[in-house]
Amino acid sequence: MIEFMSGALTMGFLVASLFFFRFWKRTSDRLFLAFAVAFALLALNQALAQWVGAADERVGYTYLLRVLGFALILVAILDKNLSRR
Amino acid sequence: MATVTFVLSLLAALTSLGCMVLLFRAYWNSGLKLLLWSALCFVCLSANNVLLFLDLVVFPDIDFRPYRLVAALAGVLFLLYAFIWEAE
Amino acid sequence: MLDADFSDDFCRFIQTTIPDVDAAELLLAVSAQPEVWWEPAQLGGKVRLARGITDVEAARYFETFQNRGLLATGPDRRFRYRPKSEELAAHVRTLATAYNERPVTLIRMIYALRDAKIRSFADAFKLRRR
Repeated sequence: MIEFMSGALTMGFLVASLFFFRFWKRTSDRLFLAFAVAFALLALNQALAQWVGAADERVGYTYLLRVLGFALILVAILDKNLSRR
Repeated sequence: MATVTFVLSLLAALTSLGCMVLLFRAYWNSGLKLLLWSALCFVCLSANNVLLFLDLVVFPDIDFRPYRLVAALAGVLFLLYAFIWEAE
Repeated sequence: MLDADFSDDFCRFIQTTIPDVDAAELLLAVSAQPEVWWEPAQLGGKVRLARGITDVEAARYFETFQNRGLLATGPDRRFRYRPKSEELAAHVRTLATAYNERPVTLIRMIYALRDAKIRSFADAFKLRRR
């Protein structure tokens, strides 16, 4: 069950990332590019965490990808507010 | 290492909570369903991040993984629903 | 043609009926000959030569037009241009004028309206209220 959900989640993040890429293409808004990359990182995090296995000590490092993803979102929000278009 | 984990997972949780707040605010102002479903997505992703924080920092002995997965999966489903049905 | 001719109602018409430029051209082609009974494949063929839309896409546009009350259906699933109200007819006339006189503005508007909801997602992250 865990593996099923993990796989579904990886796929879900990936599809969301593709949607964000599409929105970036349409609107040229950098925020969407950031979200696209962030969600791709979340997908990668999920896939690696599953591949490495919860018992392995290296799984902690895969979560850095998730943090990187959310940090990217944070940067995108700051960028949207601090840069005057 | 523990402090780094603490700070980083807290950062992730706060960011997703921030997104949730901003999207709810925008939904409140505009009434656009897209924003409501997106906000709900970040409710679930925030829950996922908070559970990760609890998992790694507060209760390292308990495995929250099944609950984390359910939360994140729900979040992503909300987002995909929003983008497929409410984006245009 | 003035900017004022792009009224809120016209914008709403575009947003709900005209998802892209191909749809606009298809509608204009149909409305230009209101006495003709069209068959979906036949009409798709006419526009396809110019713009390369497929039968499937044309069918989708026609469904939208029909739902919006722009087409009347007859026997054998054929249809012709019959706007349900004068308001709709006026919107199509405005569309024709805009297409001829201000095509760039019209195209920009079609795509801006299509992307409006998506932009609102991005705008949600602006901290200061406009």
